[in-house]
Amino acid sequence: MANVAKKVSWSGRDRDDDDEDGRAGETTPLLNGTGPGAAGGARQVLTPSSFLRIGQLSNVDLNEDIRELETELPRQHPNEIPHNEKLLSLKYESLDYDNSENQLFLEEERRINHTAFRTVEIKRWVICAMIGILTGLVACFIDIVVENLAGLKYRVVKGNIDKFTEKGGLSFSLLLWATLNASVVMVGSVIVAFIEPVAAGSGIPQIKCYLNGVKIPHVVRLKTLVIKVCGVILSVVGGLAVGKEGPMIHSGAVIAAGISQGRSTSLKRDFKIFEYFRRDTEKRDFVSAGAAAGVSAAFGAPVGGVLFSLEEGASFWNQFLTWRIFFASMISTFTLNSVLSVYHGNAWDLSSPGLINFGRFDNEKMGYTIQEIPIFIFMGVVGGILGALFNALNYWLTMFRIRYIHRPCLQVVEAMLVAAVTATVGFVMIYCSRDCQPIQGSSVAYPLQLFCADGEYNSMATAFFNTPEKSVVNLFHDPPGSYNPMTLGMFTLMYFFLACWTYGLTVSAGVFIPSLLIGAAWGRLFGISLSYLTKGSIWADPGKYALMGAAAQLGGIVRMTLSLTVIMMEATGNVTYGFPIMLVLMTAKIVGDYFVEGLYDMHIQLQSVPFLHWEAPVTSHSLTAREVMSTPVTCLRRIERVGTVVDILSDTSSNHNGFPVVESNPDATQVAGLRGLILRSQLIVLLKHKVFVERANLSLVQRRLKLKDFRDAYPRFPPIQSIHVSQDERECMIDLSEFMNPSPYTVPQEASLPRVFKLFRALGLRHLVVVDNRNEVVGMVTRKDLARYRLGKEGLEELSLAQT
Amino acid sequence: MAPLPCLLLLLPALALALGPAAEEARRPLALEALGEAGELAEELWGAGLPGDLPELEPECRRLLAAFAEGSAALTGCLGRRARPVRLCQACHCHYRRLLAQYGNIARAVGNSSESHNCAKSILTSDRLQIVVTLSEFFNKTWEAANCANCLKNNSEELSNSTVEFLDLFNKSLMCFEHNLQGQTIYLSPNNYTEVCKNCNETYKMLNDLYNNLQRMNRQGGESGHSAHLCIDVEDAMNITRKLWSRTFNCSVPCSDTVPVIAVSSFILFLPVVFYLSSFLHSKQKKRILILPKRIQSNASLVNIQEKYS
Repeated sequence: MANVAKKVSWSGRDRDDDDEDGRAGETTPLLNGTGPGAAGGARQVLTPSSFLRIGQLSNVDLNEDIRELETELPRQHPNEIPHNEKLLSLKYESLDYDNSENQLFLEEERRINHTAFRTVEIKRWVICAMIGILTGLVACFIDIVVENLAGLKYRVVKGNIDKFTEKGGLSFSLLLWATLNASVVMVGSVIVAFIEPVAAGSGIPQIKCYLNGVKIPHVVRLKTLVIKVCGVILSVVGGLAVGKEGPMIHSGAVIAAGISQGRSTSLKRDFKIFEYFRRDTEKRDFVSAGAAAGVSAAFGAPVGGVLFSLEEGASFWNQFLTWRIFFASMISTFTLNSVLSVYHGNAWDLSSPGLINFGRFDNEKMGYTIQEIPIFIFMGVVGGILGALFNALNYWLTMFRIRYIHRPCLQVVEAMLVAAVTATVGFVMIYCSRDCQPIQGSSVAYPLQLFCADGEYNSMATAFFNTPEKSVVNLFHDPPGSYNPMTLGMFTLMYFFLACWTYGLTVSAGVFIPSLLIGAAWGRLFGISLSYLTKGSIWADPGKYALMGAAAQLGGIVRMTLSLTVIMMEATGNVTYGFPIMLVLMTAKIVGDYFVEGLYDMHIQLQSVPFLHWEAPVTSHSLTAREVMSTPVTCLRRIERVGTVVDILSDTSSNHNGFPVVESNPDATQVAGLRGLILRSQLIVLLKHKVFVERANLSLVQRRLKLKDFRDAYPRFPPIQSIHVSQDERECMIDLSEFMNPSPYTVPQEASLPRVFKLFRALGLRHLVVVDNRNEVVGMVTRKDLARYRLGKEGLEELSLAQT
Repeated sequence: MAPLPCLLLLLPALALALGPAAEEARRPLALEALGEAGELAEELWGAGLPGDLPELEPECRRLLAAFAEGSAALTGCLGRRARPVRLCQACHCHYRRLLAQYGNIARAVGNSSESHNCAKSILTSDRLQIVVTLSEFFNKTWEAANCANCLKNNSEELSNSTVEFLDLFNKSLMCFEHNLQGQTIYLSPNNYTEVCKNCNETYKMLNDLYNNLQRMNRQGGESGHSAHLCIDVEDAMNITRKLWSRTFNCSVPCSDTVPVIAVSSFILFLPVVFYLSSFLHSKQKKRILILPKRIQSNASLVNIQEKYS
């Protein structure tokens, strides 16, 4: 019945556009699926070089082969290209947000009565509270350790500099500072590069991907958390231009994922609690709560945290979940606040709600007037341009790093060099600066005198010789006149390049604080020059310009909108700043988006992650599911031979995760309609427990498989190689009808790409089966098929798949 | 009518304020005379018009007068000791006395009901509450100056370390003065080598002592004072330092620019080497393209190429 149109059409133009042999293997002949509805739509495209295989294929009876569609074509030589941003990595799999409503699930639901579901609900709240508390405690730990270690380091270096200023030999101080930095960073980089590379960077792109539905390997493991926390501490102490706020989001997410599962595979401990939550759907909800708790602990911004989760993972959002996320955020910031206030000796004071506190912005002193709003908007423009510049530079650097600096030891060396150079630049700047400020009445933590007169300190040193968080707060709040414009200008320039160079190193570190710092520095400079131009009549305090500059710069780099506005607003603790901050962030985003995209999106793209944006590319309506889908599809029969299943699963060339289940009618002339969908993980569990038809007949006492067996194996299902199936067992049959999802989502072939996309994104699907009008499987749409299409500079682009 | 009694009230207070400042020997005669006149006027006024203050008991009036005198004295002291700052040394007695006087008003002394009335009628019976305001002002000033830091725990006299510091401070000032004899200050910056040489030791000692005090203060931060020393000590040190390094130009740090430049350029050079060598020697990472299984219809290709063109 299925007619295959064999038509060769290969124009020379098409050929030129492709690689010479690149497309040869791609021309898999279409084997089925041209029903009357799609008549003429299917054309087989062949290159002359693949005629041989056509010959091979033509003697296969296509009608018989229709149930089991596999790619048996021999692969061509793999085509190697240098890494670029137009790739999708095969390494990343999709999370399954869709519930498999198989019979086991229905049975369990029948068994659990109403009260038990109420317990589940209570457990959710308990878990959220624990997420909040633990995230807060981790944040406290990081804060306290960083404060003490950094204090120790700065005291040592300061003592050394003070000593050598009198006697001469400051080059030794420089060496000491650089070596201290480099060695601390070396430890931080070694643990990241050799133990858990996924802990590198701020972790926000990774969490963004996770919430988007991409499973990044190792991203929510306990080991990652440990490495992340230690890495952050070491890189901040090592004096890099980094902050500890971004990694808190990752840490919160890992904590959430860990707690909600009630066990840790890293520790090989199973606490036998919260077993109900062992699946992607639930885990992902908790991870969004954890990310929110992380933001909330980092900035003391519980609402901002909720909005962050919302902005990044909002397609799976409902009122109850949001309320729970908010609860976790509040608990997290409260825990941090109470523990830190006890640590600082004023218990019950609750004055430090976040890792970074912007300090108090009073309305009387730092209020703004309506005339200043255009100025703020202008600052937003500047922030957008500078942010775009930052991202563009970082893009080139990251590309270079991916291509050339991929060996762990090289990465460690690079991190050490950056640390040493950061120290050197700081030292040289301080050395050359002649900007001295009186020590009296200032709150400088480590005043460096150097060449200043006695009783004065070097003003450049407050910016460089301090942890970045403290420098930000100093820039916001130091009284007017604490910095001279030259100092600020040089600082901005240097720190801009340092921060840009640092982001993307193999250390765990965030970009929030450096961005804020750069912005605060040029914002303050802007404020000073403004009051200079207007003869200092109005707009006296440069602090608020520092704040707006910080917002503009951060917005220009990360391009977050709603959540960032609220975070900044909450961190300043002043609601009236909401309006100008919003305007600034909006302008920065608009201006920045004109040039390049945001830093996080850029890194996601450079990592070749199949990330689904909010909408399908706008010009893609003419693409249909037919063209988007992968085909042919490896299908399984409802009652399948074990040997076939094992072979399919062990086939390394096609690492599929979902298999449509079709009717196992031996009569080949009948249509093999779609009956369900089964996942690789389920098949593996079935094979492991040897749920074969013959065995069931053999002994009736055999335990029935329950949903719990599947959950116990989650999330790390054993590979197929570890499951031993004997030769006899290969001949057994396996009945999938009980375990498959009997109602998978399907689309007709004519569905347009945006339609498919919407379904995929809104439901969080992993597999979407494309059927023809006789319910026959034609193809399969997965995340990578959709993520391939992207709106580039010249219109719609198609990314290619690659092994990374 | 109103300003006159006010003035009259103030004058005796001023006179009294000047009185205890015994170390200031020069008391302006005119003021004294005025003060006496004022005192007289006040008595006359107070006695002559009893109906004006119907609710204030004589006891309370006495307390109020004492407070007024005390605050005037303190004000005078603070004002006169503003530059160079000697607030804590000179005025702590006044301050203590004022505190006691305020306490007398606020607390129940003697006949409880009467004092209670005093506190109520003096402190809280009008909108202005000038006595409270004054007392708050003095307290705030005292705290800002951080004077408690220089005083012994009972705040009766200067602490030992402060005394030591002030001694040393005087010594170094004397040293400066001694060595500058015959020279006019602000003559030329090169003529101070003598001072620098001779006073170096005293200055160093003073500086070290100050740093020590500061460190001790910071360590004992839990005693409730902030990280600052008291204003007298801070200011004394400030003046000396300014004289030393600005006016006399004595502290000339050795700047070893050449080694610093050498070391820093070496370190800055390292990344260049690193990146160049990894660019040249490291094998570029290649990605293996995987060919997707897809219907290769022309429609999609055309679609995409249209966008390209």
